[in-house]
Amino acid sequence: MSSFWLKRSRSISSVLLQNLRTKTGTLDSSQFLNSIQSSQNHTVLPSGLSSFLLKALKNPSGSQYQQFLHRNSKGGFRFFSTQAVTEPSTADGLTVEGIVASQWTILDESESDWKSHAAAIAQSILVIKKRLQWNKLMVRLNFLSAELNKPNLWDDPVHAGRISREHGSLMGKMKEVKAFEQELLEHIDMIKLAREENDTELESESLKALLTMRRISNEKELEALLSGEQDPCPCYIEVQAGAGGTESMDWAAMVMEMYKSWAQQRGYKVTVVDEMPGEMAGIKRATIKVEGEYAFGYAKSEVGVHRLVRISPFDSGKRRHTSFAAVAVIPIMGDGSTRVQINESDLRIERYRAGGPGGQHANTTDSAVRIVHIPTGVTVTCQNERSQHQNKASAMAVLQSRLDQLEMARQAQMNAQHTQSLTDISWGNQIRTYVLHPYRMVKDLRTNYEVSDPDSVLEGDLDGFILSYLSASLDKDENEG
Amino acid sequence: MKLSLIRTYSYYTFPNFHKPKTQSPSLCARLTRPVCSTSLKPKTPLFLRPPEYSATLSDLKRWQDWAKTLSSSIGSSFLDSDNGPDPSLLCRELNWLIEDSLEDHSVIPQLGIQDNSKNVRLKVDIAELYSLWKQRIEGRKPFQYIVGCEHWRDLVLSVEEGVFIPRPETELLVDLASDAVSNNEELRQGLWVDLGTGSGAIAIGIGRILGTRGRVIATDLNPLAASVAAFNVQRYSLQDVIEIRQGSWFEPLKDIEEKLSGVISNPPYIPSEDIPGLQAEVGRHEPRLALDGGFDGMDDLLYLSNCTALLLKPGGFFAFETNGEKQCKFLVDYLENDNAGSFCNMKIVSDFAGIPRFVTGFHQ
Repeated sequence: MSSFWLKRSRSISSVLLQNLRTKTGTLDSSQFLNSIQSSQNHTVLPSGLSSFLLKALKNPSGSQYQQFLHRNSKGGFRFFSTQAVTEPSTADGLTVEGIVASQWTILDESESDWKSHAAAIAQSILVIKKRLQWNKLMVRLNFLSAELNKPNLWDDPVHAGRISREHGSLMGKMKEVKAFEQELLEHIDMIKLAREENDTELESESLKALLTMRRISNEKELEALLSGEQDPCPCYIEVQAGAGGTESMDWAAMVMEMYKSWAQQRGYKVTVVDEMPGEMAGIKRATIKVEGEYAFGYAKSEVGVHRLVRISPFDSGKRRHTSFAAVAVIPIMGDGSTRVQINESDLRIERYRAGGPGGQHANTTDSAVRIVHIPTGVTVTCQNERSQHQNKASAMAVLQSRLDQLEMARQAQMNAQHTQSLTDISWGNQIRTYVLHPYRMVKDLRTNYEVSDPDSVLEGDLDGFILSYLSASLDKDENEG
Repeated sequence: MKLSLIRTYSYYTFPNFHKPKTQSPSLCARLTRPVCSTSLKPKTPLFLRPPEYSATLSDLKRWQDWAKTLSSSIGSSFLDSDNGPDPSLLCRELNWLIEDSLEDHSVIPQLGIQDNSKNVRLKVDIAELYSLWKQRIEGRKPFQYIVGCEHWRDLVLSVEEGVFIPRPETELLVDLASDAVSNNEELRQGLWVDLGTGSGAIAIGIGRILGTRGRVIATDLNPLAASVAAFNVQRYSLQDVIEIRQGSWFEPLKDIEEKLSGVISNPPYIPSEDIPGLQAEVGRHEPRLALDGGFDGMDDLLYLSNCTALLLKPGGFFAFETNGEKQCKFLVDYLENDNAGSFCNMKIVSDFAGIPRFVTGFHQ
């Protein structure tokens, strides 16, 4: 089924692209793809015809399917014409999957063996596709193409803008991989040709080109880890102390310091937005803003509860304590993307920690502001700016991002793309344990990635954890999909 | 508009201002209060001073540790005695003082490192930093006077001892004016006044929301405030929009023949009997002129209301800040009865702490 679907949807998308914004006769493409989409959303199918179509799709070898193809071959419904679906291949029919399947030995880069290079590149391409969630991408692209084909699309310009932007970015992403695939196959063709013709110069040139591709493919594999729509965005990182008083507040402060150093080491700009100090030590909670390329893409791996085991510096009995801190990561979407409209009337804006008669009576540099979004109950405070106006602006920006994230999560659930619950996205489950005593270790519970030097991790050396989580989570997604 | 440029209380034209020989007698006669001397030249806020000093990071760190310890030592004593600052707020102020004193903010994270002999450029001598923080803690000198500025809305305003420090609550007055002009082009292009402008905060806030033809005249009885306000106006390049005049309330506006589009003021409203019990930062350091509103704190509010009824044009907007619910209600009642028929759409607006703080309305 899956390979069928893959090929089909690819051909559909290519036809759709040629026919952008054209409407065909009895059954146009958007209706067709819509019906697929609506079935995913578990809504009632709009017509008997589309459910028939779906059945046909699910049972491609069935006679109904053949009949359908036949019946429609003259109509506008060209997707199911007998037009061959061409997987890119070399002149003698070798495809990327074919290369991987033939299990050529992958030697060191320095060995001038074209098969070794080709095998390494082909494997990378599969990894990249997997990480990009190629199959889901196809489905999404088809859906977007269908949306773009709708004649009434531009009735809602905001929606239309979002659809066409996403379509453009998906197309770009997929084209890039396709081109890379094509390039590999062309070089193989060249090498084979050169060998037939005994053209050593051409052969060595092509071999060199393959080597370059092999090196680039490693970078591309890494890039593919961060292919989410929000991954390039800046983000907020929030750390909240768990139960347990000073002990946990101290741990929350350590976690926050860890992220500050991590972000600084990556060359990101870090701004403290809000910080609520604990009575004795540490922080009750804090929010920082992290700006720089792919800040959200990396930081999103840190969402969840972080657990610390150590001999407490606050316990005169020197006993072992376990503390928790929860981490949330919120993307800050660009102006280009659609953002939740906030009604001023839905907000309750309060001076935080205000007391006494205020006004001319009081001279204070504390102008902390709390904003409550009444319909959702989302509450944001900001106290680190030097004026109330700026604190309010800062808090509004955090509120906006939180609401955007809620809305995204809601839509994602609706589209059944994610099965994570909203609470998972905002605070999540326990993801990592940091043990300082009786032994020393940091272990990620999701990937089992571990290191034996907690100090370096607490000083911001987090990339190992982040990369292993990113690749593991994408592998998991693909298997589930 | 009949505004004489010479009367403009511009900071840079100041030196010429008290050479009466260069001005026509009639203009001099029109000067409301020609009280100015070079001693009124405003002080430059710390963050705008040139980085003429230097110190090693470890010296700076030593000072910071000393200042932190001093701040912590007060515990909740200020808070308990007069609702003053607590150590965590003082530590935040300390960080801001460091920000304002340093030329290069990127060295701040390195302050945590011990024994750093790296030199940093400072805008103030390190010995002076010790003295400043002593004044903050022991003298309860307002932080804004220590650094010479107050962050207010999206502005950084110069302030100094003798000039009232604008409050966070008052930021809302500008929002109220902004709402009033948002769909009223006539008001947006009109003449507004800010009475008792102090550092010029409200006038500058409003100057930035008015249209191209909108103008603001800001008055203050205190010559030092007038010169600080002029400095702030200059810093935001609003001298073509805002004119500072020194004098009592509407007095410097006598030559204005056109009616006003807006009257905004945060006049002194603290009842005289409350003055002795004020928070030390306020009572010991801020000008009483800007705080004391007479027996029940309503003297100036009532006076301003009466004048506003005469000077505001039909449809014109006013907004006053008050001491709280009691004054708001009293003022609305007064405007409805004693100035019956003058005003409409009167509203009491609360600040973010939920205290009814402002009275707004329109002239009939």
